Amino acid sequence: MDYLIFSFSLMLVYIGLAQLLHIQFGLLGIPNFGVVGFWGIGLYGTGVLFVEFSVPLLPSIILASGMSALLAYVLSVLVLQRSGQAILAATLALAAIVSTLVITEKQLTNGVQGLGTIGFPFGKLDNRNAIFLGILAIVVGSLFWGGARLRDSRLGRSMIAIRDNEELAASLGKDTSATKRMTFAFTCGLMGLLGGLSAPLHQFLVPYLLAPSLTFAVWIALVLGGKAHNFGAMVGVFATFGLFDILVETYAPVPTEYALLVPNFKLFCYGVLLVLIIMFRPTGILGEEGPRVRAKPAPPTLRSAPLEED
Amino acid sequence: MLLLDAIFIGLLEASPLVLAAMGFTLIFYQNGFMNIAYAETITFGAYFAILFNVVLGLHFYMAIVPSMLFSGALSVAVYLAVFRPALNRGVGPTEMIILSVGVSFMLRYGLILAVGPENLFLNEPNISYMQFLGMGATNLQLIALVLVFAIAGILYWIIYNTGLGEQMRGLANNHELAMASGINPHRTSVAIWFVAGCAGGLSGVFSGVFAQVTPYMGWNMILITMLVTIVAGIGSVRGALVAAVVAGILTAFITLVSKPLYSEVILLLAFIGVLTFRGSKAA
Repeated sequence: MDYLIFSFSLMLVYIGLAQLLHIQFGLLGIPNFGVVGFWGIGLYGTGVLFVEFSVPLLPSIILASGMSALLAYVLSVLVLQRSGQAILAATLALAAIVSTLVITEKQLTNGVQGLGTIGFPFGKLDNRNAIFLGILAIVVGSLFWGGARLRDSRLGRSMIAIRDNEELAASLGKDTSATKRMTFAFTCGLMGLLGGLSAPLHQFLVPYLLAPSLTFAVWIALVLGGKAHNFGAMVGVFATFGLFDILVETYAPVPTEYALLVPNFKLFCYGVLLVLIIMFRPTGILGEEGPRVRAKPAPPTLRSAPLEED
Repeated sequence: MLLLDAIFIGLLEASPLVLAAMGFTLIFYQNGFMNIAYAETITFGAYFAILFNVVLGLHFYMAIVPSMLFSGALSVAVYLAVFRPALNRGVGPTEMIILSVGVSFMLRYGLILAVGPENLFLNEPNISYMQFLGMGATNLQLIALVLVFAIAGILYWIIYNTGLGEQMRGLANNHELAMASGINPHRTSVAIWFVAGCAGGLSGVFSGVFAQVTPYMGWNMILITMLVTIVAGIGSVRGALVAAVVAGILTAFITLVSKPLYSEVILLLAFIGVLTFRGSKAA
């Protein structure tokens, strides 16, 4: 039961990260390949503040998220106005820097030996891990609520305009680079928040957690589910992490001699799924969701000339 | 003396990177997307070398050429099976990168399922230490260095002096005009993917013989290859050659004056800095 609660908590973290990536890439068009870096600053920032400096858990998480947002803001000033491929490489490089620094700064992070332990809040209660799952569910749920609200808001529309044609959006008087910078920093800060919330889940932090595989798992889930759909992140994580890491690893009757092959087979399947989806359904399982616009009937005087059906 | 050491060690370390960066750049130049699956071309090059050198028992130097050709063939097969259909469907550049990540996962974990995740070792030829301009190196390292730069020279010659290179540069600069002049883009692409695959395979063989052959070796090289390519000015093979050598020497220099692990951090920061201050939006 504890294991299942842990798996579901981890799945919620993945869903949250994929949802934030949906805002960054699906709506705004920023290819952030450094998800694990921003998440990792939140994770290790919380761990270091909590263990080494004895800061209580909640302020640690908030401070670490703030660090993540600040770093994202600095990076966005540096490279966000470059092409997508440059942003991609820069964010990937940032994640590599974070994971290297976690290994080298031994006096803070304890290096490869690991940093611990970070306990759950409400340590006196028996079902504290279930309560924490509830907290995560509230945080991730509000990300979806925020995503749906964003979609129909003025900011969401200008984000989609920037994604589709930045010059055009700028010519209409939108401050495109400020919108990109602030949205990127804010969403990366939320990635840091999810990282901070992951610290009590993992309890013991090791640099291995910061491997780029997390970034790719989140990307695969988002692309699979539908990058421009508000529920694409959720569906994608169910179809990857939910299906393979929870259903197959917990319930499938795999003979023990093949058990070590299961993670490799899983990643092989991810690759195949990713290729198939981009070749045959590039908008993902759910497709793209248009903004909900109430159709206004056109004034009848303009209808004198026959309009083309589109 | 420190500088000379750094240049020498850097050149030795950069030799596989030079080949990888050139091949990666060629594909970028030809088809306009960053092919992450190029990592697997490098890995498979080393595994083909294992096949010829360890399984079939060929001498190491004899195994180099067939491994290289097999990698080239693999690269062409992947292009024809996945990337050409995707390009024909009009998949955008960022989606192409994600697609290539998918291809990379497929090949890498397919390989692990087929041969297992263990680290393998190539049967090295006799190794002797030599003195070269006052610095020690093994004969293998020196041979690799000479061979890599000879092949880099041949690639350079192909791109800037032959018909194929001219066609490629024409297609990259103005696709419609090149096609109107009677250049067949598919034939040129197949040729480029073959040459790039050969370069990647060779890079894998050399990085495999210097250390060990693992399923993750190409993946570990691809980030630095990507950064070198971007910093070198997308698509300039000349730039990739220079940037790879500079990156190697820089890494060696920083490693000599600081802790080894910091060299990676400083190099990555330098790359982000170059991306920032290059100025042109088209980077």
